[in-house]
Amino acid sequence: MSNDPYSALGLKKSATDAEIKKAYRKIARTHHPDLNPGDSTAEAKFKAASAAYDLLKDPEQRRRFDAGEIDATGAEKQPERKFYREYAEQGGHGYGNTHGYEDFGDMSDIFADILRQRQAQGGAGGAGAGFGGRGFDARGADARYMLEVDFMDAVKGGKKRITLPSGDNLEVKIPEGTRDGQTIRLRGKGGEGYGKGPRGDAYVTINVRPHKVFKREGDDIHITLPITIDEAVLGGKVPTPTIHGTVNLTIPKGASSGQTLRLRGKGVKRGKKTGDQKVELQIKMPPNVDADLEKFMQGWRKDHAYDPRKGMTS
Amino acid sequence: MTRYYSEEQVITTITRLTPSRLTTYVQHEFLCPAQSENGPVYTAADLARIELICDLDEQFDLQGDALGVVLSLIDQLHGVRSELRRVMTAIEAQPEDLRGRIIAALKEM
Repeated sequence: MSNDPYSALGLKKSATDAEIKKAYRKIARTHHPDLNPGDSTAEAKFKAASAAYDLLKDPEQRRRFDAGEIDATGAEKQPERKFYREYAEQGGHGYGNTHGYEDFGDMSDIFADILRQRQAQGGAGGAGAGFGGRGFDARGADARYMLEVDFMDAVKGGKKRITLPSGDNLEVKIPEGTRDGQTIRLRGKGGEGYGKGPRGDAYVTINVRPHKVFKREGDDIHITLPITIDEAVLGGKVPTPTIHGTVNLTIPKGASSGQTLRLRGKGVKRGKKTGDQKVELQIKMPPNVDADLEKFMQGWRKDHAYDPRKGMTS
Repeated sequence: MTRYYSEEQVITTITRLTPSRLTTYVQHEFLCPAQSENGPVYTAADLARIELICDLDEQFDLQGDALGVVLSLIDQLHGVRSELRRVMTAIEAQPEDLRGRIIAALKEM
């Protein structure tokens, strides 16, 4: 922020408390980032004005600033604030609300169709209301839930039950290959409708707990597999965990750390597609380097020296 | 794994928020936290929305229905902007001549 909170509000030092409040409100109204999502300078101006107002609204703080006892930041720094507009257009937060495009109907073109369709897909929030015949009918409100599931449950799919503190129960069918953050829609499991209106929907966001071995990359599974130095030198078959159970993986002769092998079709099954498992090798030294190994290496180094760092150092 | 905040965590993160004000905001449906087995949980987007609501409440003296109306308009604005962005992206992806025709049609309106 600027060093002079008065100038951030467009005021002189002699401004009264009421003038400060008025000036701040004006800037907040015209430059609040959430009220002006399209103006990129709005955030900087709003932040400067907010910081200035925070400092000057308190008479004691203002006195201390005027007396030079504290600087414009007022000593303690505030953590970086995230503005709502950074999330607002992303959707999936349950507040997306365009109240329909019914009035676009006259255009009777694809445009309105696309927008209406979109609303039906993403539409947590806006409950469509209408006067059907005599009474007032409206669709019930949508409900949002968060369900934490184990990694393997998300990968394999299955049924889960949410038991809410209120005692309510909700059965959620988790499809095979569910991704972290995916939202499942349960038709008609939301709030009661009004009049003859249908019930709202329930949206369940799946939060997947990380696994200590498997990491998910799209529909592929990534693991880091430790191997011994003899396995790295000589190659061989090594039992390897996959989400579908243990398989024997063939390590090629002379494998290096960081080398990645691919197990086709051992990834996540989602619909008709199945991903792969990627196995990144990591050579682990024995817990202690014994005399035999040391002696062998000393002999070997004499006439087999090689430089894996060639070209890295000048 | 997405970070979710419990009610207590929200109140300690947003220092100007009190438990009773959070309850009021939820009751008015300005916020709809997801329900989990351990009670309501809030996302980073919810937290940013709470900051906005606090701004409107404290600095503009908006409460109750007035605040609800403003929030609903903001939500509609963001909804329309997000859809406009989708339309723009779709137009952007079209061949040059089609884009030109769309631009010409827009100018004529």
